[in-house]
Amino acid sequence: MSSSQVKLMIDGNTLEAPRGMLLVDAALRAGIDVPVFCYHPKMEPVGMCRMCLVEIGRPSRDRQSGEFLLDENDQPIINFGPNLETACTTRIDEGWVVYINSERALEGQKQIVEFLLTSHPLDCPVCDKGGECPLQDLTMLHGPGISRFSFHDKMNSLKRVALGELIILDRERCIQCARCIRFQEEIVDDPVIEFSNRGRSLEIVTFSEPGFDSYFSGNTTDICPVGALTTSDFRFGSRPWELNAAASICPHCPVGCNIILNTRREVKMGGSEIVKRVLPRQNEMINEIWICDKGRFAYSYAMDSERLSQPMIRVGGELEETSWDNALKVAAEGLKQSGANLLGLAGGRASNEDLYNFKQLIQGLDGVSMLNDFMAGGKQNQQIGLGPGSNLGDLGVGDAIVVIASDLLEEAPIWWLRVKQAAERGAKLIVANARFTKLEKYSAHTVRYSFGDAPETVLGMLHYVTGDSSLNKYAKVDGQEESARIIKEATNAVLFMGSEGSDSESSKRLVQACGSLLAATEHIGKANNGLIPVWLKNNTQGAWDMGLTPPEKHLAEEFRDRTALYLMACDPFGDNPEMLQELPQDAFVIVQELFHTPSVDRADVVFPAQSFIERDGTLTSGERVVQLFYPAVSPHGESLPDWKILARIGALLGVAMESTSAAGVMNRIAEDIEDYGEIHYRELMNREDQWPPVGGKQIYFGGTAYENSQGIGIRLSSRAQRGEAYEPVWKESPKKPKGEGIRIVPIVKLYDQGTTVLPSLLLAQRIGQPELVIGQEDADRLLLQNGAQVEVQWNGTAHQFPVAIDNDIPEGIVLLPRNRQLGLEMPMACNLTPVKPTSKEKGE
Amino acid sequence: MSELILFRHLDIPDINDLDVYLANGGFKGLREIVGKKSPQEVVDIVKASGLRGRGGAGFPTGVKWSFLTPDVFPRYVVINADESEPGAFKDREIMERNPYQLLEGIAICCYAAQAQTAYIYCRGEFWDLAKELDEKIAELKDRGFLGKKLFGEKFDLEIYIHVGAGAYICGEETALLESLEGKLGMPRLRPPFPAAEGLFAKPTVVNNVETLANLPPIITRGADWFRSIGTEKSSGTKIFSLSGHIAKPGNYELPLGTSFRELIYDNGNGIPNGNAIKAILPAGASAPLLPASEEILDTGMDYESVSKAGSQLGSASIIVMDETVDISWVAYKTTKFFNHESCGKCTPCREGTYWMFNVMQHIKNGEGTFDDLATLNSVAESIVGKCLCALGDFSTMALTSGIEYFQEDFNAHLREKV
Amino acid sequence: MLAALLKGLWTTLRSMFEPPVTYQYPEVKRPVRDRYKGRHYLQRYDNGLEKCIGCSLCAVACPADAIFVESSENTDENRYSPGERYASTYEINMLRCIFCGYCEDACPTEAIVLGHNYELSFTNRRDAIYTKDMLINPVSIAGQPTPMKVEAGQFDRAIPEMEDPK
Repeated sequence: MSSSQVKLMIDGNTLEAPRGMLLVDAALRAGIDVPVFCYHPKMEPVGMCRMCLVEIGRPSRDRQSGEFLLDENDQPIINFGPNLETACTTRIDEGWVVYINSERALEGQKQIVEFLLTSHPLDCPVCDKGGECPLQDLTMLHGPGISRFSFHDKMNSLKRVALGELIILDRERCIQCARCIRFQEEIVDDPVIEFSNRGRSLEIVTFSEPGFDSYFSGNTTDICPVGALTTSDFRFGSRPWELNAAASICPHCPVGCNIILNTRREVKMGGSEIVKRVLPRQNEMINEIWICDKGRFAYSYAMDSERLSQPMIRVGGELEETSWDNALKVAAEGLKQSGANLLGLAGGRASNEDLYNFKQLIQGLDGVSMLNDFMAGGKQNQQIGLGPGSNLGDLGVGDAIVVIASDLLEEAPIWWLRVKQAAERGAKLIVANARFTKLEKYSAHTVRYSFGDAPETVLGMLHYVTGDSSLNKYAKVDGQEESARIIKEATNAVLFMGSEGSDSESSKRLVQACGSLLAATEHIGKANNGLIPVWLKNNTQGAWDMGLTPPEKHLAEEFRDRTALYLMACDPFGDNPEMLQELPQDAFVIVQELFHTPSVDRADVVFPAQSFIERDGTLTSGERVVQLFYPAVSPHGESLPDWKILARIGALLGVAMESTSAAGVMNRIAEDIEDYGEIHYRELMNREDQWPPVGGKQIYFGGTAYENSQGIGIRLSSRAQRGEAYEPVWKESPKKPKGEGIRIVPIVKLYDQGTTVLPSLLLAQRIGQPELVIGQEDADRLLLQNGAQVEVQWNGTAHQFPVAIDNDIPEGIVLLPRNRQLGLEMPMACNLTPVKPTSKEKGE
Repeated sequence: MSELILFRHLDIPDINDLDVYLANGGFKGLREIVGKKSPQEVVDIVKASGLRGRGGAGFPTGVKWSFLTPDVFPRYVVINADESEPGAFKDREIMERNPYQLLEGIAICCYAAQAQTAYIYCRGEFWDLAKELDEKIAELKDRGFLGKKLFGEKFDLEIYIHVGAGAYICGEETALLESLEGKLGMPRLRPPFPAAEGLFAKPTVVNNVETLANLPPIITRGADWFRSIGTEKSSGTKIFSLSGHIAKPGNYELPLGTSFRELIYDNGNGIPNGNAIKAILPAGASAPLLPASEEILDTGMDYESVSKAGSQLGSASIIVMDETVDISWVAYKTTKFFNHESCGKCTPCREGTYWMFNVMQHIKNGEGTFDDLATLNSVAESIVGKCLCALGDFSTMALTSGIEYFQEDFNAHLREKV
Repeated sequence: MLAALLKGLWTTLRSMFEPPVTYQYPEVKRPVRDRYKGRHYLQRYDNGLEKCIGCSLCAVACPADAIFVESSENTDENRYSPGERYASTYEINMLRCIFCGYCEDACPTEAIVLGHNYELSFTNRRDAIYTKDMLINPVSIAGQPTPMKVEAGQFDRAIPEMEDPK
């Protein structure tokens, strides 16, 4: 027995556990439940609710020698204190004797439940938590059968307090355990809710505008041990026991959070199943037991009535609904006739199966297939990404995390959370960006470069690592040397590379520089070391792995002279209406889509595709974890999964493809693509025991997040990990033309105006209108004030936005949230013209 | 009457003037130690003096100081001037009339604890007093008793006043620290104790006003002298705040171990209107009440004897009740007080005080039944020993002891359950 | 042998002179017992508010899975029942129902009551599904129809009155 392990006895069972572990954890690991309300395994104990009262006996020790004192039978003398103690705050030691289910302890627990119930309303029948409520469960287990408290003395509080439009508080149900407050403060550092008042009047208030302003607010409803906090989308939506649960993967960002889609049939949908709510599914290597509010609330697009439900073909200039057979025939004919110069363009939100079949079809037709993206890094991720055994949750003291050119909180909130927590555990965080991002608060070093200089900044760090004198011209920003030293000295280092401020050229140079830096500091080919690209779409890495890469030239050039265009899960004409002019008028266009996008308007054949809730498939996260999602509801209209549509066209055109099942496509992928050799659906359904236990019987402990029994996914190994040599290359930066005027840089906002977010009416207030962020100098020069309208011209188009002034933005740069229909994928030059040059002020 | 150690203003009228204080040996104690004695030596002197915390718990002060985590700096000294126990008004008099002795005591404590910053946490209602103290602190700074390099030695000291917002719970040391940090006044989990992780998670000494005011004479006159006053285990004098049905209420500084009889009859001139004494609350609302038997009256007021008699000396805010008092009314008032003052952090106290208050209200309104007494006792039992801090326990004491000793007072309000 | 035959014939003969037990249904209906469990009715309070709070406990108690409930939130502008929740959909499939009365037992507000009507017949399966409109009692003379507009704070508890435990 090592000295860090101690032996103790709980309810007569002898067990071993690490010294200093909380008694409540040690007991549960040994299979003995200790009832808790305020304790949560992801947070520091506070000992507020007093539910976990147990009897603890400690062996007497000799004062001098520290040896145990023995009684006449040579047994240690055990001293029990006069009071019961809380198991959640007590750290175990050698020789303890603990009673959790003794008469005295049970009596204490019963008294606490009785206290909690004195003013708790008896509205379990109408409470959304009823059926999955820790207080309900623990009352049944530990509570008294009847209450001695006078019903008329019960305290009546407000039943419906909207802490914001997303989370609703029932003050009467609240048992003041502070889990929500502590979650917001300790875990996500958005302390926007607090207790107000004291004693029996203690109540939760929010003091942010808008209320409960946090990207993680929904998680508080999972860990609330009563029905005090509920989400407004599920409010009175259904009873928990009536729901079906399908495992899925969040489609919104490259983190790949594991989720559960709770579905139920509904009368107003004609008795078909709909998604009633989204809950996190535990995966301690990806999202632990949390998800962000976008993942939780932006699901309604999949059930939107605007979805395409029928194939359409263009007849006499108009799109007309038709049968699948006819549409497929028209598409096949069209491709046969004008497929000589075919371009296939796919989006990064399609599944691996879709992307693989897409590649097969376009290749089979001698066309060119591409990924509708500009950011580089997919190849490097295959070479030097994080491999098996990695877990951001393992990073801590001695490790380093670099985040460059990314606003993680907006782009991938759960990565932000895990990076922040790693920094708090002691990992050294380096945040390099051209502007302030919230992650800087936790950074050991901040490197601030000018927009567009990200590759040079990394090369500067490389200079300090290798001493390469040709690079010393790039060593010019504060913090580079220190950062280089931290990365070099770190046991493990992970580098998050984003695309903020990058165009396709500089993104390529940035990833080369990052790869070189990681290679030079020997942070490749090992678990917990390597590159993580922060993609703009959830499955961009999967697309790279399936062999699709971004266009070498600008997309506009790729469109010229094409005779046919095949679009899947992307909307180039919606992203940039100017593209319509680039594609030849007579080019034959096929679109596979969910919605009637501007690209659909240009299409000759339109196929309705299925969304992630209706089908199965796999996604590859930015960390290169392949994960499986399952169908939850029946398909919308006549829609089909993308891979199947492709296979059916392929059949008509003589391109042999797997057409029976998504699992079958994955088998093909496994045969064809080396990295995926071991990946089959059966293996993706792997499960593992995870700590803390959540859901089911342990709902009181970890919350209502679902236990993961449907698959935790497989982490792909990197080439470097398989022993393949990595040749770091980096390119000298081209001489930048001294740009005149102002550059406009697209940035990511979590709640964007994308097709997957806009239909979520619940988030409408949070989405807001895009604002043009401008520095003080430029604002002064143009006589702009906060909120003033400004016209921005770029690439021959003009748009109007209100202005938000940010002192942190350097001169000559304006920021604009990424948005559809703007044609602003990468930074470019722009012109600003104030719409009303402060005439109002002059008039006054 | 014995010698006055703390209430020197009664002997020297203008001692709240710095010059008068200096002329009467002021800051002699501080000068004697700064640069001349090591902090450890000062801790040893205080340990030897047997000085015990005057805030209520009576924990030996020197021992408390020796628990400070070694080699962790900065450290803080926090002075608990949140005197909010019903019937306690002793710290107020010290701060009003003899403030420099307190400030010198703070300086000595800081020297012993190797702290450079002290915060006086003043209860909200003492805002005028806080203002005066601020002026006094400014004066000390001007005159070189505070600030950098005191007396040319390596000892810096700043004292700040913080005014609370009127919560009883902030008299509890960890709740006080939370409040001082700007958070909601709620007790912290212990361990870690303030001596390890106190204010801003640094080692912190929290002492009561009266405790620290004892330090200057202990330093100047020695531990043995201090030990010679009071009883063996409770040395020194104590200020007893006497109130209730008493002819001459007020603060009385007497050696620990003085009997209740001496305080009430010799100093307080007995019960007015020739009424008989019925009960004594020896520590405001926070300890069991004692029926005023001859035996109790002869009990010495020191930590051990009062505890043996079935109550606690606490902050020695002694409330005397004569025969006209209905003890059920006292129980009603105390439960009402604790229902109002419970911070709400832990369940038994938050819900239990609310419950007990509601039942007491029914009893007061004549709606109580005999079952209610059993309920009250059982609720009280469910609270005791199950809370984070002592407030929960305190909230039950006057009530349960009242039911125990004076059940007939309750019975008069009760009816059979129908 | 013969004796047995005569005994049987005697019984036949005797019963020929007894009054008939057959009812001329449907002209004549046999009265049912007070606690007979027939077709369900959803109850209202005197003021017209629905007793059903849409809690679905009847549905979960139902051994035949015959009940389907969907609930929504009340507002003071559009109030159907006391408290926050009401049944926006309430359906019973009478073909599935076994008239066990468990729904009645499970109901926390005594909203669903099995009545005396046993004359349930349908010509197609869809008609066997009784919707809320069919199940709910008509509004009494003193009451108002739902949804009704009420003063704020007047009906904010789902279970308006509950006795102290005795």
